[in-house]
Amino acid sequence: MTDPLDLRARAEGEASRLPPLLARAEHLAGTVLLGEHGRRRAGMGDNFWQYRPAQAGDSRRLIDHRRSAKGDTQYVREREWQIAQSVMMWVDQGASMRFSSAADLPQKIDRARLIALATAILLVRAGERVGLTGTSLPPRSGGAQIVRLAQMFTQDSPADYAPPEHRAMIPHARAVFVSDFLGDMTDVRLALTKAADRGVRGVLFQILDPVEEAFPFRGRTIFESIGGTMAHETLKASDLRDRYLDRLAARKAELADLTRATGWRLGLHHTSDSAQSALLWLYRALDGGTA
Amino acid sequence: MTILGGIGFTAPWLLLGLIALPILWLILRAVPPAPIRRRFPGVALMLGLKDDESVSDRTPWWLLLLRTLAVAAVILGLAGPVLNPDDRAQGTGPLLILVDGSWAGAPRWAERAQLIDAQLTDAQRAGRTVAVVSLAQPEAPVFQAADVWRSRLPGLAPQPWQGSEARVDDLIAAFGDARFDTHWISDGLAHPGRDRLLSDLQARGDVRAYQTDQPVFALAPARFEDGAIQLTALRPMAGAQREVTLLAIGRDPAGTERVLATATPVFEADALTAETALVLPAELRGRLSRFEVQGQRSAGATTLSDDSLRRREVALIAAREDREGLELLSPLHYLEQALIPTADLLSGSITDLLPANPDVIVLADVATLSPAEATALTGWIEAGGMLLRFAGPRLAASDVSREEEDPLMPVRLREGGRTVGGAMSWGEPKALAPFPEGSPFFGLALPGDVSVTAQVMAQPDPTLADRVIAQLADGTPLVTRKEVGQGQIVLFHVTANAEWSSLPLSGLFVEMLERLAVSSSAKAPAAEDLEGTVWQPELVMDGFGRLRDAGTMPGVDGPRLVTEALGPDLLPGLYDSGDRWLARNVVAAGDALAPAIWPADVPVAGMAVRAELPLGGLLLTAAIGLLLLDVIAALALSGRLGRARAVGTTAALALALIILPRPGHAQDSDEALALAATGEVVLAYVLTGDSEIDRISDAGLRGLSDMLFFRTSVEPTNPLAVNLETDELVFFPILYWPVTPDQPRPSDGAYARLNDYLRSGGMIVFDTRDANIAGFGAASPNGRRLQQLAAPLDIPPLEPLPPDHVITRTFYLLQDFPGRHAGRDIWVEAAPPDAEQIEGMPFRNLNDGVTPVVIGGNDWAAAWAVDEQGRPMVPVGRGFAGERQRELAFRFGINLVMHVLTGNYKSDQVHVPALLDRLGQ
Repeated sequence: MTDPLDLRARAEGEASRLPPLLARAEHLAGTVLLGEHGRRRAGMGDNFWQYRPAQAGDSRRLIDHRRSAKGDTQYVREREWQIAQSVMMWVDQGASMRFSSAADLPQKIDRARLIALATAILLVRAGERVGLTGTSLPPRSGGAQIVRLAQMFTQDSPADYAPPEHRAMIPHARAVFVSDFLGDMTDVRLALTKAADRGVRGVLFQILDPVEEAFPFRGRTIFESIGGTMAHETLKASDLRDRYLDRLAARKAELADLTRATGWRLGLHHTSDSAQSALLWLYRALDGGTA
Repeated sequence: MTILGGIGFTAPWLLLGLIALPILWLILRAVPPAPIRRRFPGVALMLGLKDDESVSDRTPWWLLLLRTLAVAAVILGLAGPVLNPDDRAQGTGPLLILVDGSWAGAPRWAERAQLIDAQLTDAQRAGRTVAVVSLAQPEAPVFQAADVWRSRLPGLAPQPWQGSEARVDDLIAAFGDARFDTHWISDGLAHPGRDRLLSDLQARGDVRAYQTDQPVFALAPARFEDGAIQLTALRPMAGAQREVTLLAIGRDPAGTERVLATATPVFEADALTAETALVLPAELRGRLSRFEVQGQRSAGATTLSDDSLRRREVALIAAREDREGLELLSPLHYLEQALIPTADLLSGSITDLLPANPDVIVLADVATLSPAEATALTGWIEAGGMLLRFAGPRLAASDVSREEEDPLMPVRLREGGRTVGGAMSWGEPKALAPFPEGSPFFGLALPGDVSVTAQVMAQPDPTLADRVIAQLADGTPLVTRKEVGQGQIVLFHVTANAEWSSLPLSGLFVEMLERLAVSSSAKAPAAEDLEGTVWQPELVMDGFGRLRDAGTMPGVDGPRLVTEALGPDLLPGLYDSGDRWLARNVVAAGDALAPAIWPADVPVAGMAVRAELPLGGLLLTAAIGLLLLDVIAALALSGRLGRARAVGTTAALALALIILPRPGHAQDSDEALALAATGEVVLAYVLTGDSEIDRISDAGLRGLSDMLFFRTSVEPTNPLAVNLETDELVFFPILYWPVTPDQPRPSDGAYARLNDYLRSGGMIVFDTRDANIAGFGAASPNGRRLQQLAAPLDIPPLEPLPPDHVITRTFYLLQDFPGRHAGRDIWVEAAPPDAEQIEGMPFRNLNDGVTPVVIGGNDWAAAWAVDEQGRPMVPVGRGFAGERQRELAFRFGINLVMHVLTGNYKSDQVHVPALLDRLGQ
């Protein structure tokens, strides 16, 4: 499951079913790296946009001599300003994600990586730059980045509930956070407010196992976290169900509030559902630009 | 042993443990089940939640019941319960086990022996001394320890007779004044003296009777009446309608004893006898040796057959056949009357009759025989025939046996004979003298009215005295006899009609004929009929009805044989005297079976020995079963069963993986192979014998199949390995054949199949895997081998794949066909020589079919090979260029399969613009 080539192959399979995704670039400023999206205005880029008379302050290197030789006026050749959107991802690699309730269900982390990588492939195909939050893998374009992403995704984190990586976020970029968001909310809140401060908008994508929604347990039970750091004993698990579900709903509501406040979007996916639908939703969420 | 409710307990005090069950119930109820440890990421949300109640889930009542039952079963099992505990009243003092021991007990003798054994066991347990006495063989009871008797038990056998007054007297005398209890194991039949014995035993102690309710059957001796064998089966007590099967047993012509016929008489309800008639041909009837009641192995149910069923063939020949209407004067009339009931009569000339080999030939007043007749007759007598001659006027008038003894006459005769007591003579008619000892007629009573008026006289000879077997009162011979060879000649010195004597008119005449075995009696002989005879036992019967050779047992006097009761001195069996056979059967004609009736004060028990059945083991097993159920139930309750099932499934899967051969080998049975190969598209590869190459082939085709599944609408299932020698090939669209230098050459049969496969549209991809360094010449070992392997195949001319071959565009547009190696040349079927490039068409119209072979050396399977996780198994090239090469290899594989499956479809596509152009006009 953690083999990068295999993961990539399956992610390619998922990605092959969708048209290339062109993430809409809302903001120009900040993200100066050139991409393929013509901004319909003069700027940095490869394609010709227009000739304009040279003005004071233009560097002499910028004067287009072929055009200028046709007359007396000196022209500067302007090129279309092209940008590429940067999308940063964070996939929860914590131990809590390595859980599946049944043999025929994938682990949450498996599903999360798959969807994240499929999204990354779509984005790369559309010419965007994709990377991870933090400093480990800054956004780049090109097929090789997919391989690097897949490589990064194979690294499990020993922590039970990994906090979102919120360092080195590129201002006005887009971000995708994939996790079960069952851990401490402080880090999530911190990460999101920090991102909002920098103008980063994106998607919180929550992945849950059906058992986590249903809580079908009965009898005397000791619940342990996957990493084994937390335990909770109950004499009657069936009594606990309603209160657990209340807390889960509260957690979802908290996430919804948080995303509303920061302009992010919140998605929920169950590992029992098809990954395709999740990818579709994520594609819409990134492409719609309503976030 | 304590007995509670019909079940005995060896350790009843343990039952007090049952009191602890309610306590156990309470404890089990109070103790919560062990907690389950569950990994659950949502635990972070649960931190701080408190349980509403401090009481855990209670163990459900049915689980408690299950556990209580298990514990109860353990307690009961350890208490040593015994089903059918032996609660027979245990008396004290000596015990007499009295067995009837007659033939009636033989059919279920094993049961009786078992019962006696059980009684001995009981007596041993109670410390009683025992005597076992068989009423059929009474002896003084010896009271000994039971185990001594048990060792003698196998010697106890039923006897082919029943108890009698004399034996009862002996027994009562032997008892003396001893006092003991009696267990009487009855055969179900009454016998004389039984009541007396019973009252005597009751006076000495308690008497218990054991008697089976299984019916006893007996068979009365067979009679021959009205041309059929009359069989009568007997039973002692009337009852429901019942059918029995009687077997008629005899020797077949080969001498083997077998059942010759069966009859099934039916006891009507309330009838004591069942009769049936068995009609058999005389030939078959003569072979019968005994009758049995099927399923009743006893002497009473067996009856031996003797002369009474045998009818002798008697040829009657008289001299004067031309006298009409004077029947009473016919010399044969009285003979016929005497013999018709018991013998088959033949008539004709001697030469006609001799081939029929009659038992007896009667010559009534026949004087001379032709030499041929005489010779034939002599030979017949010497072989065992009996010639019975009667005198008469002709014999008296002839010179036969006058001067010297005729070979066919027992004595010499005087001329003329004599007449006494007639009107012209002095003297009275002569009476018969008593038969001398040694004569076959000895013992026959002489009726007073038999007189002889005329006779032929015998010449006094030295041998005469020996040959006379009956004489007149004056000492003149009346019947003489001479042994010749194995046969004999008997001469009655009187006529066979009443002319010379009144003998033929008397009953004595018939009896004499019987004694001479000329006729055989139809009914059982009476004692007086057998007076003076001695019968030698030949076969005797034991109580089970088994026959054995009598050996040197002494002979028995005739009257004793039929009158005396059977006993140790007179065994039932087959007795013979001279030429006559007599069977003494256990049941005589007219006997009836009397059932044993017990007075009300004698308790009668069945024979069945109910074995004690210890239940402890069963209960403990049940307890273990219940505890196992408890394990499952407890798992189910705590939610662990699902996981257990998953584990079980995994284990079963692992087991299946271990058991099943890893590569999908084409199945042994053709049908399974056909099903596996035709359910879906299946790629196949040829087994080379090199396991590594076969593994790569399998993995390569699996990788290609996956890629086809992934990218195209061809959705193959897992590839199959094909053994060219055994497997059918026609199901596979494509056969991948890696060439190794050392693979064996297929047999001729395999080549025949391969050629069929190629002709029917199959494709073989030969892969020399050597990057074609030799250009398919003989320079590389693989190339050489390829040439050898492909030589017998029906392969059309080949050419290097032309750039416009349809395989370059069936799915992907390709010009290179790399595998692990990137050689360019692959060879396919050559284009027809007349294929020309048409102006404006990008491709020639090539190959209106599928190339039957593709030959290359790029080791495609290695490039395609993926392991179970879908990872490539063999490195191809370097870095991303290598990945590209692998991708092209897959594309070539897809094109190849597409080519096989779609043929020249893509070739036709080049006409589409022309077709559209035409349609447009």
